[in-house]
Amino acid sequence: MDYAVELKRITKRFGSFTANESVDLAVRPGEIHAVVGENGAGKTTLMNVLFGLLQPDEGEILIDGKPTVLPGPTAAIAAGIGMVHQHFKLVPSLTVAENVFLGMEITKGGLIDHRAQRARTAELSRTFGLKVDPGERVGLLSVGIEQRIEILKVLARGARIIILDEPTAVLTPQESRELFETLRGFVAKGMTVIFISHHLEEVMEVSDTVTVLRLGKKIATRPTADLTKAELVQMMVGRAVSFDRRPREKSAGAPVLAVERLWARDERGLPAVRDVSFEVRAGEVVGIAGVAGNGQTELAEVLAGLRPESHGRFRLGDVDLTGRSPAAIRAAGLAHVPGDRMVRGVDRHASVAANILMTRQDRAPWSRRGLIDWSYVRHRAEELIGRFDIRTQGPDAPVKSLSGGNIQKVVVAREFSGDARFLLVDQPTRGVDIGAQEAIHDEIMRQRAEGRAILLISVQLDELIALADRILVMFNGRIMGALDAEGVSEDALGLLMAGIAPEAVSREAAA
Amino acid sequence: MSDPVRAVLGQVLAVAIAIALGALVILAVGESPVRVFRVLFLGAFGDATKIAGTLLQTTPILVCGIAACISLRAGLFNIGVEGQLFMGGFAAAWIGFGFSLPPVFHVLLGLAVAALAGLAWIAIPAFFRARYGANEVVSTILSNYVAVLLTSYLTIFLFKRPGGWSETPPIHESAYLPAIFDFSRLNWGIVIGLALAVGVWFYFRATPRGYAITTMGSNPKFAEYGGIDIRRQGFAVLLVSGAVGGLAGGIEALGVHRRFMEGFAPGFGFDGVIAALLANGHPLGTIVTALFFGALRNGSLLLEVDTNASREIITVIQALIILAVSAQILMRRRADSTAGERRWKF
Repeated sequence: MDYAVELKRITKRFGSFTANESVDLAVRPGEIHAVVGENGAGKTTLMNVLFGLLQPDEGEILIDGKPTVLPGPTAAIAAGIGMVHQHFKLVPSLTVAENVFLGMEITKGGLIDHRAQRARTAELSRTFGLKVDPGERVGLLSVGIEQRIEILKVLARGARIIILDEPTAVLTPQESRELFETLRGFVAKGMTVIFISHHLEEVMEVSDTVTVLRLGKKIATRPTADLTKAELVQMMVGRAVSFDRRPREKSAGAPVLAVERLWARDERGLPAVRDVSFEVRAGEVVGIAGVAGNGQTELAEVLAGLRPESHGRFRLGDVDLTGRSPAAIRAAGLAHVPGDRMVRGVDRHASVAANILMTRQDRAPWSRRGLIDWSYVRHRAEELIGRFDIRTQGPDAPVKSLSGGNIQKVVVAREFSGDARFLLVDQPTRGVDIGAQEAIHDEIMRQRAEGRAILLISVQLDELIALADRILVMFNGRIMGALDAEGVSEDALGLLMAGIAPEAVSREAAA
Repeated sequence: MSDPVRAVLGQVLAVAIAIALGALVILAVGESPVRVFRVLFLGAFGDATKIAGTLLQTTPILVCGIAACISLRAGLFNIGVEGQLFMGGFAAAWIGFGFSLPPVFHVLLGLAVAALAGLAWIAIPAFFRARYGANEVVSTILSNYVAVLLTSYLTIFLFKRPGGWSETPPIHESAYLPAIFDFSRLNWGIVIGLALAVGVWFYFRATPRGYAITTMGSNPKFAEYGGIDIRRQGFAVLLVSGAVGGLAGGIEALGVHRRFMEGFAPGFGFDGVIAALLANGHPLGTIVTALFFGALRNGSLLLEVDTNASREIITVIQALIILAVSAQILMRRRADSTAGERRWKF
């Protein structure tokens, strides 16, 4: 039997750096094939070669058994390959149907036939179970639906082999499940799916076959059913990694953060945080669980001074910080790893060193007598690059040249290397590979041991269970319950996350 | 290839393309491009007097360019430099003819008041930007017209020199910004401009506030998250930018015209803004672009005498250069932008 896609001995170099070294990939028709590996393992490079965005230096590409040269994406599309990128490329002011047919409009008498486009979009939507309203404007839609539109764009161009680059990185668990249903629908229709991920739960759940890349080389291709998660991790990272609950000593000290009856509104002016009260003590990790969009982001923004509260108050130690500026809150002892690192967490155009400098540019020894000591900044940046294992060419490399996981490490390195007593950590490992995840988790536990108060907001339950002492569950802006993280079950959390509050679930733990 | 190297090469290529296109236009009007460019070059750099003349033209463009650089660095766009230049020019002239003061002090006071006038002139757009987020591009453009007409009114109706044209009385000699050589009106303004360019460049590179401003211009949300008060800082940056614009007017009034008159400056403010944009907001780069515009202006003085080409051909070449360079900048920016990110808030 011919493979749907066969890449043979693909080598791709960028200058002296070899992104792919003699990599083989064989994908059978009608399967979901996961390509996994850490950041920088060469997954995206390999997929860009397959989609014609990059030309391999060596090796050949066979589509349906036929040797094929793909000088560009147009050729790849003609060969039946479609790619859904991690960052969506949609026009917000156009409708769903207009976006789907952008660049290949259906015309009648020289004008765009909107009716036909909508009908065709609706048809594709029905056939593949991707629910969208063809006439709606994209700007109003959620990320999950935007992704459906990206998939529809690929389908409308006649793709039979669909590549998805980190498709779940931006999705809620619910949206991810719907996506997996869709992917299973594709293979049931005889199409082929190649799926890049480093979220192992998902790989185990949805894929038929896994190919593991590490440092640009193929490590193995195996049927998913023959693998355990631990084996997969070992192949990806090259060593054993544990995601069990971290051992710890009870170390909770005096209250550091106190939040009292806090309310806040979202962009639309609707209450997003409702009557939230809790404390975080020194040497304690308090987790906030919840499906994305239940007020966690808004809560974090209020605590960082980036969003006004509408009622209530919060303080760090004895300092009331309600309504104070980000600078005042930082001066009182906040460090903040923001949920959206690309928007808030870094200046992509600036160097790693310049990004490390932020928040401390006015303080010695970072600056003296009104002048920044750049050699000190560079020196400290180098030190943090080493300690946090940031993969970069050096402190002067612009942040935009780093991969997503390494950008996150820059943010964590900056925020965790100050003398803050309260760490507000929002989605610390979103889009971060396993090795880096472990390093960031280690670092959080180290900060806990040093007596910092940590508020950890995450949509990943395994992360919360591994790290938190207590877990608060947010639903619809409220804290549904507080659970001791020791021995907590995902089921109990799941119920609270769905807004079901069994009276049995301890209310006293919130106090 | 490193980013700055590529940026400079791109700029040079863009200018070369523009000059080639300009040559076609010159051919089209029946002149020899070689001759025109030769006359242009000799007119700008042919002898010491010509070079001094070029530097004289460069001075206001450079100082206005630095004013624009300061705002661009913070991601803001002060396009009202022309207006600030008029206000500063009038204010300096007023100090110059209205008061009798000791020599050095008189000049310094005149320049200081010019800067203050520029600062005052941008204060309203800056306030509305900081307080209500009103787009400073629109408000500073509009304030240009008001400045030109207001100084015109003041000159004609309140301070007109008896018997003269639409001009104020000449300033006292004590207020002269002195010339450097005796064969040219080139004055110490060029030194002020160069010092300003180097100083501003150093400030942005080396000081914490300069770093904060740069970061704000690159990613305001990150700056805000890092504890920088971007509204307040943006307000301050616009004020300083306006003050430098005013200073440019003061230099022109005290160093070149030695009075204020209608049509005080033929678009130096706008040329300065364009010079800054072409240099991508870099103060040292602006020295080069300002010199280029200054040379074009000075070189074109003899163009109509020595060739059959009209002086307007310079405007055409300038426009072509702006077009080519901005296309080039846009292409580069598009290549490294990600979804939803815009560096400048137009």
